[in-house]
Amino acid sequence: MANVPSLLLIEDDDAIRTALELSLTRQGHRVATAATGEDGLKLLREQRPDLIVLDVMLPGIDGFEVCRRVRRTDQLPIILLTARNDDIDVVVGLESGADDYVVKPVQGRVLDARIRAVLRRGERESSDSATFGSVVIDRSAMTVTKNGEDLQLTPTELRLLLELSRRPGQALSRQQLLRLVWEHDYLGDSRLVDACVQRLRAKVEDVPSSPTLIRTVRGVGYRLDTPQ
Amino acid sequence: MTEVARVTQKSARQQGAGNIEGAEHTSGAPGAEGGGEVSSRASGSPDTVGAEASEEGQGGLRGWSVGRRRSVWSRIRLTSLRLRLVVVFGLVALTAAVSASGIAYWLNREAVLTRAQDAVLRDFQQEMRNRASALPAHPTQDQLQRTAGQMANSSQRFSVLLVAEDSGGRTVTGNSDLGTFTLDDVPSSLRTAVNRRQPGSSGEKPTYHLYWQRIVEDGRPYLVGGARVVDGGPTGYMLKSLEPEAKDLNSLAWSLGIATALALVGAALLAQAAATTVLKPVHRLGIAARRLGEGKLDTRLRVSGTDELAELSRTFNRTAEALEKKVADMSSREEASRRFVADMSHELRTPLTAITAVTEVLEEELDAETGSVDPMIEPAVRLVVSETRRLNDLVENLMEVTRFDAGTARLVLDHVDLADQITACIDARAWLDAVELDAERGLMANLDPRRLDVILANLIGNALKHGGSPVRVAVRTDGEDLLIQVRDHGPGIPEEVLPHVFDRFYKASASRPRSEGSGLGLSIAMENAHIHGGGITAANSPEGGAVFTLRLPRDASSLVEDGGDRADGGPGGDGEAADAGEGGER
Repeated sequence: MANVPSLLLIEDDDAIRTALELSLTRQGHRVATAATGEDGLKLLREQRPDLIVLDVMLPGIDGFEVCRRVRRTDQLPIILLTARNDDIDVVVGLESGADDYVVKPVQGRVLDARIRAVLRRGERESSDSATFGSVVIDRSAMTVTKNGEDLQLTPTELRLLLELSRRPGQALSRQQLLRLVWEHDYLGDSRLVDACVQRLRAKVEDVPSSPTLIRTVRGVGYRLDTPQ
Repeated sequence: MTEVARVTQKSARQQGAGNIEGAEHTSGAPGAEGGGEVSSRASGSPDTVGAEASEEGQGGLRGWSVGRRRSVWSRIRLTSLRLRLVVVFGLVALTAAVSASGIAYWLNREAVLTRAQDAVLRDFQQEMRNRASALPAHPTQDQLQRTAGQMANSSQRFSVLLVAEDSGGRTVTGNSDLGTFTLDDVPSSLRTAVNRRQPGSSGEKPTYHLYWQRIVEDGRPYLVGGARVVDGGPTGYMLKSLEPEAKDLNSLAWSLGIATALALVGAALLAQAAATTVLKPVHRLGIAARRLGEGKLDTRLRVSGTDELAELSRTFNRTAEALEKKVADMSSREEASRRFVADMSHELRTPLTAITAVTEVLEEELDAETGSVDPMIEPAVRLVVSETRRLNDLVENLMEVTRFDAGTARLVLDHVDLADQITACIDARAWLDAVELDAERGLMANLDPRRLDVILANLIGNALKHGGSPVRVAVRTDGEDLLIQVRDHGPGIPEEVLPHVFDRFYKASASRPRSEGSGLGLSIAMENAHIHGGGITAANSPEGGAVFTLRLPRDASSLVEDGGDRADGGPGGDGEAADAGEGGER
């Protein structure tokens, strides 16, 4: 991406919004800000940003709800800012479609690294394609089709599928996937992988509850198989 | 001859005197005046008293021995309310039964003996008056013998012995049944009493009294009586067996004994029943008290009746209620203070997020080579940056602690290579030069990598801070457990500090600078070990230096299944379900 990525920051606290805007701008991002979820959704439609940084605790509709509404129409990456890293918050956030999360008080550098990692997931790298049953992954167009129909995947889901499809039949551990897809260090939260696999299965599997494509390897992680 | 002493001291006079008076009329002898004390009653009463005294003595002995035994039993833990009740009931019953039967026995004995004795003595007196006084002053042996036979032939069937002096001055005796009743059978004390001449009252002629005594010969009770005919007449003695009366009294004693035994048995049964009625509520009370002690503060007793036990139950209920209220108060207060800490650290977080983001901008400005910051201001900026980072750590630790306190901490398990994890932990903090790792690659464990990192970072960081390098980290397996040992080469931990190293905000000494850390690190490490079902121990190595040993189960998945899944039914939970679902497929 040659042009400067544009971000939408939705955060209700003035001090945090101002500070993060300052910090992210200095890191070289174009930042638009909104103080409420409603304003954020309006800005999303007007400005079409590349990524949303979303606070969970918002007046009016909360971050989870904003996340769900965005996902109905768009597949752009969302990074949650959670004030409490209560595990339930994280889980609900990942279920409502967030790609990654950072816990307050967040360091600007960490947030920047996450943003760049998420944005990198949409970059194409090779120009071949692979077929797994009815699912065709076109790496040059960065599209996935199932039975000829385009699947709407977020960049994270797409990247996860790409990484798995690069090593068909080989099990990848959650920690490996965290490094490959999320570019997290050794302490990555394995629930990110689990949540993303669930979302991906819901889109590519015929019956998500009994997957034939993305298989769980007990005690190790996940692998992509060609269905018989 | 045991009764002799008794009789000699209490010479019978009342009955005897009366009878003699009669005899004196017929025999012409001056009647004896002045009735003395009754011998029979007197002879009986000391016996009874003695018996009672000995009974009392026995009872006292029993009481003493019971007391003694009780102290022994209490030492060997045999005493119980039931036993005590039985013993007390038994004692009461025994005392009552024994004294009642004793009194009944003695009253009966006296009545029976007195009646028999009176009849015999009256007969004997009659015979003496009729026959013996008719004898000449110096009778022959034959005369005496014949008269004795006639006298013995009365309705009372007693043996008679007559003694007199014949004309030659020799002593002659007449015997009703030859050889069985001789003068030797008569106690000498009785003989003396009979032969003693009584001074006649108010100057009248001296007279003799009728005396009697009970003796036991060859185990058989007898009544012996004797009188002398006034003015040199013969002396007569009679012997009457009291065996029929003794038999009656024996059977009476047996019945009374059996009645006493029955009373004892009845008392024991009653005591059992009483103990049961008392002990059942006591037992219930005991159970309730135990439940209360186990922390079930809502334990209450059903109160029925108005007796002391019901009152006790009511008191118990009131106490339990008060206790429950107090505990509820305390826990709500504790809950409030815990929530205060949680809320406070949460509130701190918001401004801290803004400050952190801005201080980074400042820091970058410092690091930029342009030197755009005034050199005078630079130390101030660095201080703000470093203290903000410390504040961040503190708040993060506080949040971690409140999560443990609130019980919202969850394990997020993953299969990891232990050596890789430890290396990464050391590497991420730039400790590679100061830490020696002794661990084999390929040792896999199912645990929460983030929590393991927190534990290791705290243990190793602590070792580096207090012990100095090199810090040695060794990984071993012990059955199903992992042992990770962190050893430093410092001075070790003072003995008095050792039990407190995992306490929150515990500082080894007040003079220690506050910049050592948040004071929460080791307690958080401990909590993180606990949530895995493991633990940490601190000790001093014999070769010097402190040793922290972390013990974790190799597979913590059983903990996750028990207490809320890793993601509370979220994606992680689904992943686990999928895991289980596909387990059989492979």
